[in-house]
Amino acid sequence: MRTLAYLLRESWVNMRTNRTTTMVAILTTAFTLACVGIFLLLYVNLRAAAGWLQEDIKIMVYLDDRLASDSVTEVEQQLRGDRAVGSLLFISKEQALGEFKTQFPSESHLLEGLGQNPLPASFVVALSPAFRSPDAVKRWAERVRQVTGVSKVDYNQDWIDALATVIRSIELVAIGIGVILSAAAVTIIANTIRLTLFARRDEIAILRLIGATTSFIRIPYLLEGAVLGALGSALSLVMLKFMYELFRQQMRTTGRFAELENLMTFFPPSICLALIAVGLGLGFAGSFVSIRRFGEAKA
Amino acid sequence: MIQLIHVSKQYDQRPALSDVTLEIGKGEFVLLMGPSGAGKSTLLRMLIRADRPDEGQIFVHQKNVTTLKPSDIPYLRRKVGTVFQDFRLLPKKSVFENVALPLLVQGISSADIRRKVTEALRAVGVEHKRDQLPAGLSTGEQQRVCIARAIVNGPVVLLADEPTGNLDPALTAEIIELFKLINARGTTVVVATHDPLVMAQVNRRVLTLSQGRLLPEHRALA
Repeated sequence: MRTLAYLLRESWVNMRTNRTTTMVAILTTAFTLACVGIFLLLYVNLRAAAGWLQEDIKIMVYLDDRLASDSVTEVEQQLRGDRAVGSLLFISKEQALGEFKTQFPSESHLLEGLGQNPLPASFVVALSPAFRSPDAVKRWAERVRQVTGVSKVDYNQDWIDALATVIRSIELVAIGIGVILSAAAVTIIANTIRLTLFARRDEIAILRLIGATTSFIRIPYLLEGAVLGALGSALSLVMLKFMYELFRQQMRTTGRFAELENLMTFFPPSICLALIAVGLGLGFAGSFVSIRRFGEAKA
Repeated sequence: MIQLIHVSKQYDQRPALSDVTLEIGKGEFVLLMGPSGAGKSTLLRMLIRADRPDEGQIFVHQKNVTTLKPSDIPYLRRKVGTVFQDFRLLPKKSVFENVALPLLVQGISSADIRRKVTEALRAVGVEHKRDQLPAGLSTGEQQRVCIARAIVNGPVVLLADEPTGNLDPALTAEIIELFKLINARGTTVVVATHDPLVMAQVNRRVLTLSQGRLLPEHRALA
């Protein structure tokens, strides 16, 4: 207990002794992680937007015109029994014609000229939330296409694919930038710790000679790195939140994107905590890199 | 307690120790004499594995120091107290904190640390300076604090490298008396020095190094 108190006190003393270096390290880490955070925030919001859009996706299952009413019931039962299907609405040929006439009154004469109703009966299917991913929708549509009595399955595949591509691209960019900037954060903290190690090399040498173990010597510096990383990360979240609120305020003022502004979201507390933990981990890694290179810190 | 068998060491192809074989028994007080560059510090450094010989074997307290795993080195150093010419005290820590350090690294309880540090400070006569920083002490007091730190955890061996190098003759005599007291309590003491004043005050076994070689032994005459 006394040893732990000593190690914590040493970390605190290290940071206080090198106040300027510590502040610079926290600020640069915060700015670096804030850059990663911007992409992450964009990604989180686009994912949320994609979720809302996919909720609205309806799949049209068109039935064969020659299908007897018994067979229509069979298809309906089959669809209702499918766990991927969230809700189902039957639209008869007559309803389809009625809707067409309502939606396109000026074009209705085109159908009248044909003598018979060319529009097929259909089911409008909304999938359960677990089956709304682009791949799942595609797989489901392909499977239903094989059902006897189904002539065509239609949904806005292009739109879903485009959205998936955009999300994947942002994901890749966020990962790429995240990796590069995280490496930068590790380097910044590693250099700060290296300065501290250099400034305290005599003290480290004394500790070695009086029988301190390697971990006893290293722990204060590892703690210091971890604290720098966590504080940098927390500060980056404060900066991001400030920028986020400023952006929302701007949108509210212009009034053009009122709906979009309502849909925007900041990181939930769990993600905030996870990001602080990531900062802590990066700081720890930075310290570790420095200590490994600085041979004096070995017992 | 200490045994060196055909130990040799070179730095940049210049011999620091050449084929040194010696034995120091439990409870002995030995002076390691020789001019600067004779290899005294190299020998002491090897006893705490701050350096390794190129050839030969070193045993301290029945442990082969030469083959010691790095993770076991701190445990060797806890059995061997070290006193330096330049004291090597932590400037921002009080006398008490400096002396407590060897106990702290071993995870000893606060009550035991208080008791042992007080005893060590009392033994070297600087108990009244416990809350001061090293900068506020005289050189003799700083060396006493350094000795207190070396003996606080009851080492089996005490090594002192030129402990009186920065002290005047009166202080030298006081420090040597302290070493004698520590030795009288059963601790093996090895003092490396080139100071004839020290030899004059100690009627003990003398090992002399010259250009890395051990010369035939004699006793110092007090």
